[in-house]
Amino acid sequence: MRQEVVFRMGIPVQNASGQAIGTLEKLVFLETEKKITEIVVRDFSSLKRVPLVWIRELTEHVLVLDHPGTLEDLPVFDISQFEEVPTWFYPPGYRIELGSLLTLKPCDERFLGESEAMSRRDFMAKSTGLVATLIGISLVVPIGGYVLAAAKTKLSDHWITLSIRLDQLPVDEPVSHTFNAVSVSGWMRVPVVRTVWLIRHSGTTDPLSVSEDQILGLDSPLEKSRSSPLLTVLSPICPHLGCSPQWFSGKKLFICPCHHSIYEMNGKRIGGPAPRPMDQLPVQIEKDGAISILYEEFQVGIPQKIRLS
Amino acid sequence: MNMKKTSSDSRFIQYLDERIRLRSLLGFLLEEPMPGGARWAYVFGSMVLFTLVLQFVTGVMLAFYYGGTPDHAWDSVNYIDHLRYGNLDVGRLIRGFHYWGASIMVVLVGVHLLQVFLWGAYKRPREIMWLVGVILLALTMTAAFTGYLLPWDERAYWGTIVGTNMIGLVPVVGPLLKSAIRGGTGLGALTLSHFFAIHTMMLPSLFILFVVFHLVIFRRVGPAGPFRGTSATLEARKEYFYPRQVLMDALAMLTVFVLIAGLSVVFPPGLEATANPANSSYSPTPAWYFDWIFELLKMIRPEILGVIGLPAIIALVLVMLPFVDKNIERSPFRRPVSVLSTLLVLGSILGLSIAAEAGFKKLVPLDLASVKRGKIVFEHSGCMGCHMVMGKGGHIGPDLSEEGLIGHSEHWLEVQFINSSSHFPGSPMPPFTFLSPEQRRDLAQYVSSLGRTGWPDTTR
Repeated sequence: MRQEVVFRMGIPVQNASGQAIGTLEKLVFLETEKKITEIVVRDFSSLKRVPLVWIRELTEHVLVLDHPGTLEDLPVFDISQFEEVPTWFYPPGYRIELGSLLTLKPCDERFLGESEAMSRRDFMAKSTGLVATLIGISLVVPIGGYVLAAAKTKLSDHWITLSIRLDQLPVDEPVSHTFNAVSVSGWMRVPVVRTVWLIRHSGTTDPLSVSEDQILGLDSPLEKSRSSPLLTVLSPICPHLGCSPQWFSGKKLFICPCHHSIYEMNGKRIGGPAPRPMDQLPVQIEKDGAISILYEEFQVGIPQKIRLS
Repeated sequence: MNMKKTSSDSRFIQYLDERIRLRSLLGFLLEEPMPGGARWAYVFGSMVLFTLVLQFVTGVMLAFYYGGTPDHAWDSVNYIDHLRYGNLDVGRLIRGFHYWGASIMVVLVGVHLLQVFLWGAYKRPREIMWLVGVILLALTMTAAFTGYLLPWDERAYWGTIVGTNMIGLVPVVGPLLKSAIRGGTGLGALTLSHFFAIHTMMLPSLFILFVVFHLVIFRRVGPAGPFRGTSATLEARKEYFYPRQVLMDALAMLTVFVLIAGLSVVFPPGLEATANPANSSYSPTPAWYFDWIFELLKMIRPEILGVIGLPAIIALVLVMLPFVDKNIERSPFRRPVSVLSTLLVLGSILGLSIAAEAGFKKLVPLDLASVKRGKIVFEHSGCMGCHMVMGKGGHIGPDLSEEGLIGHSEHWLEVQFINSSSHFPGSPMPPFTFLSPEQRRDLAQYVSSLGRTGWPDTTR
């Protein structure tokens, strides 16, 4: 490996005949070539730029030049034309002690003067920021919409006509009715099997023929307008935590096996932790007794009946 | 650079500076000395990087909704195409960004390579940086090839059939390589997941790795600078990367972005009928940047010479260039042989591409209003008594679900409606002479659109 060259600032500089002609002050670095090209020597009158190739000998204590006379003819070093080199640009193989490396300043500041250069720099920085903001906004807006587009997709209400007619149902005895439906998730349509409770009523005078949801006014306008005194349709999902309440015909009660929420036939909660009655679903009965229902799901665990989109 | 604003910097900047040495980091990133000053000629690398980032962002977005199996891929892309937010066709826009971003990236990689070549910037000591660039070129073309299959429409399926068959022609390892890429002898579910994994997992990782490598080397050896001028004059006109070159790069990126966005809005990417391995009449065409290879393969016999020889020669020339060309002269004006031969190659690529495009069957350009009217004519004139479209209709005539992909001209179709036996002697199709000329034109437009557009909106 090549010997490391050590420059120590402040050491005396001698000419070829051994006379002291000044002291070593600074080093000048050519960034395009990534090497030190000049040294700056303080002689008796001013700072002078001396080419690096003039150095004959360099130790930690003295620097000897090939040049015989004084440095009078050499160009004067003008500090305003130069700036410090950041440490990460230091060339390999050199060590600079007690001093720093200088390089020519980039041109625009030199040609235009400090204050104007700063305003130009400011202008360019702000323009760059503006361009970046423009691109950013025009990307973030469609991306945000794109991500939210599926979340905002409205579920279309899909009425299903059941395979059972009103007159085929027993009176005052809930029946768990199973039907085929399609679950939609984005581009995928999956056939699913769903269940609802169908409760046919003996007549309008029966107090249990009105669902508890209706009595408490929890229904949405749709559910209010699509209900029948002859039939109550209850969701199979427990409004507590989403288990499935079962009908016990001996006790005439729905009891949820998970946390023992207990409901009467019209969905009224009479015991257990459930926050609201069993959810009534919209229903429509045709003249011939055909039953159409709209399957909805609701948020569980809260006293309000809030439909999941 | 002297960060003078020490006192006026916000407390946040000071906080970060104390903890992550922010100023020195920024200084390192922005104070790249540029011999000879900032130039428009240097913006191409940044433009490529920008399109790559855009591809990453939009690609992740597409993956949000994409289903990578043959029974869902097409449905999911059609779903993306119909995604709307308010009045904005966001799905089609994001897909357009990715589609046009790919094309523009291929162009920009080519321009970047050409600029580096003309400037002689690949010469010592930048040979390794050039090599890494060649690897990035290969990654770009692989990404283009693998992404082509993912929509799983007819174009994607048949294009990939041909592309992978070409790989199969490689001597000795070809058949094995082809089966490995396809995940079996045929093109199917495993091919799609292989391509999806390569396109969305393998290539992005490799891209990041080699782009970082490219940039690290760039900062180690520095920019080559202009090919004219001594180091003293270049030093005298030296500037730092920040702020002028940064602004130029930003403006160039904005131009690319506006171009890609404009193309996405004006020419949204299409989606042909879902891949149908039984469709023997489909004539596959490559993506435009592979056109010249397509055309060349028609000329070179035996085929294997074109399939293997051509990419091998290109790769060899690109890889060996900086090691063979040791002439230190960088000016393109003093390297007539290499510059002229490059221009010759470019000219041939351009000529071959034009010839290939001219040779493709032109599909009828669609006027969507006319297509809509034609659909009504189709449904009310008894066509469906004999012809099936998308699973609805009769069985007497041929299924027309993908008729638009065959490439009959409007005139051919109009003649077919009124005089079928002139095309198919003995055809049982009755002459639909009661159709008015406008109705015939609309019907021809509708039939030309079959298999190309008009897919059901599955988002609502």
